[in-house]
Amino acid sequence: MRRAARLLPLLLLAGAALASDGAAVPVELGSRGGRLWARLDLRTAFPEELRRTFANGLTNVVSLHVALLPEGGDEPAALFGRVVEVRYDVWEERWVVQVRDPQSPRGRRLVVRGWEELRGLLADARDLDLGPVAALGAGRWQLRARVELNPVSRELLERTREYIANPPSGVRGATPSRSVLGAMASYLLHGTEASEARLFHTRAFSGREVPAP
Amino acid sequence: MSAPAPPSRRWLRGARPSRFELSIALALVLAAVLPLGASLWLASRLAAENLALGLDPRVVDRLEATPALYGDLFQARKQLYAQQARALAQGLPRSPAAVGPYLQAALERTPRLRRAAVLTEAGEVAAEAENTAPNPEGEWREAPARVALPGGGTLECVFAIEAHFFAELDESRELAEAMAGVEALRAEIQRSYVRAFALLLFAWALVAGLLGWWLARRTTRRVTALVRATGELARGNLAVRVDPGRSADEVAELARAFNTMVAEVRESRDRIVYLEKISGWQDVARRLAHEIKNPLTPIQLAFQQLEARHRLLAAPDPAFARLLAEAGEIVREEIGTLERLVGEFSAFAKLPEVRPEPADLGDFAEEYARASPAEGLAAGLEVVRAAGPCPVALDRALMRTVLANLVRNAAEASRPEPARIHLGVSRTTARAVLTVGDEGPGIPPEVRERIFDPYFTTKSEGTGLGLAIAKKIVLQHGGEIEVGGRPGGGAQFTLSFPLSSPSAAGPARPS
Repeated sequence: MRRAARLLPLLLLAGAALASDGAAVPVELGSRGGRLWARLDLRTAFPEELRRTFANGLTNVVSLHVALLPEGGDEPAALFGRVVEVRYDVWEERWVVQVRDPQSPRGRRLVVRGWEELRGLLADARDLDLGPVAALGAGRWQLRARVELNPVSRELLERTREYIANPPSGVRGATPSRSVLGAMASYLLHGTEASEARLFHTRAFSGREVPAP
Repeated sequence: MSAPAPPSRRWLRGARPSRFELSIALALVLAAVLPLGASLWLASRLAAENLALGLDPRVVDRLEATPALYGDLFQARKQLYAQQARALAQGLPRSPAAVGPYLQAALERTPRLRRAAVLTEAGEVAAEAENTAPNPEGEWREAPARVALPGGGTLECVFAIEAHFFAELDESRELAEAMAGVEALRAEIQRSYVRAFALLLFAWALVAGLLGWWLARRTTRRVTALVRATGELARGNLAVRVDPGRSADEVAELARAFNTMVAEVRESRDRIVYLEKISGWQDVARRLAHEIKNPLTPIQLAFQQLEARHRLLAAPDPAFARLLAEAGEIVREEIGTLERLVGEFSAFAKLPEVRPEPADLGDFAEEYARASPAEGLAAGLEVVRAAGPCPVALDRALMRTVLANLVRNAAEASRPEPARIHLGVSRTTARAVLTVGDEGPGIPPEVRERIFDPYFTTKSEGTGLGLAIAKKIVLQHGGEIEVGGRPGGGAQFTLSFPLSSPSAAGPARPS
């Protein structure tokens, strides 16, 4: 619940950014329990070139924000956010994936053996909860998605703040010693939207096109 | 009359900085801010260059590549272990009884091999050997390697891989991720350092400003007080005074000099005012003496004629003769009173100019006590002199008049008891002081205010001129006279005169 609350500002920020257009991607719609569920094919967001990045043994973060907007409109009617942490285990030779979204705010852990499987997992954005189907009404709607690789997340910001406030803390065995100026600088450190984001949109659809369960 | 301002408003008025204070504070702030501004620019450059040094792309790339290097190391180890396992499998004896010793020997000769087991197709252990001795390379993790045997079954080997590799891998990954975060936020970090510097510089400038204001206020508060006091003085307020404080600096000296100047101005003004007033009263006395004296002689002559004519009468009326004699006595007594009054008025009106000569105030007091036996006998007169000379410029004759008036007043105040009068001579830094005290009933405070006014007297027979004359003479000597109470009871007059150096003693300047 707390994580979901933390995601809310990110979602709102993303909603504003999603107003701009991007590449068209296929969408699959469905309803379950009176809610609209979407599935996007974001394969173009994860080209083969990213394999090296994802296999570097570091934690890579993929953030996905999806907005339901009226066709031609900029005000999102629903927002969905998902953060995927991917780390390649160089000993076990497999990817460990942690997915956090409103359905699993604490995160669910997946283990993936191969790159194609990982790519499919990342590209197949399914189970996107976009609110009640009834809210669609008679109008036409469109989904817009924003995919960021390694964005400056709150966690990264906090970690960087701790690092510049206490540089030796990053090294095991070092004596903790806080830097006064670093502590001030860390307090005054703000986030940035510097990461590269890829934008996508779907075809327009109406509520009637959403198949019944 | 307006009500006094509440304390908070008075404090605010007092805390409001003057222009001088603002100038000094501004100068200090500027003096602090200008180099600090340059420091800010330098800090910005320093942060940028430090970040550039610390975040060299090659270093970041190498850091990020470290986990992959460990991956390569692990891969190599795995291949090595697989190769060693295959070699073991190839040399596996056919006799089941020999498998155990073979595996044991393999453990001893194969580095990092911790356990070897032959499993049947069903997964049961057919033979196994294990190295239970501590690993010579420290803590370790299991690295399994399996080889399928040609006749069925599996050779399962467990090799050791150093645990510190994993710890180092975790550490280098964390560091690389931290550096990646710093790299992503490089521009923001630089800005945050500049912001931190700016905040520190602003705080420093604020402290410098406040310190400057406080330091300036310590000095300018007294200067401002002097400015205000000068304004008061210009508006005619001679009671104004400035607190010089406890400092011994130039401002304190200026404040003391200002107070001295104001006191001298006030004394001069009082002296001038008093002398002008006395001068006016002298004029009045002169006219009164003239107007009273003129008809006295005709009155006296007319009465004498009346008495002479009565004496020539052949048969004088005895009753009328008695009446005339009584009337004559009254007329002569009153004329005598009026003549004495006229004499005093004339003496007051014709006070001579002061002609001071060098003298010692102590010697003068003793001389007076010796040479005035009348007053001395009428009263117990004693002189107490302080050690050391008290050179002053005195007109001895006029000062004797002053002392005579004061001693006479003291003697009259002590009646019917015999008076005990104390003459004291002392000196301060710049003044010689003569005190005339008695042990009488003293002078009430309300009387003291008017006691030197001409014609003011509390005695039935006095003219009220004695103390006025005394004050005029003292003032003309450049001195002061005050009345107060004597310690131990009685009244005391204090006369002070400017000291003159014995060598330079000459006629004092007429006031």
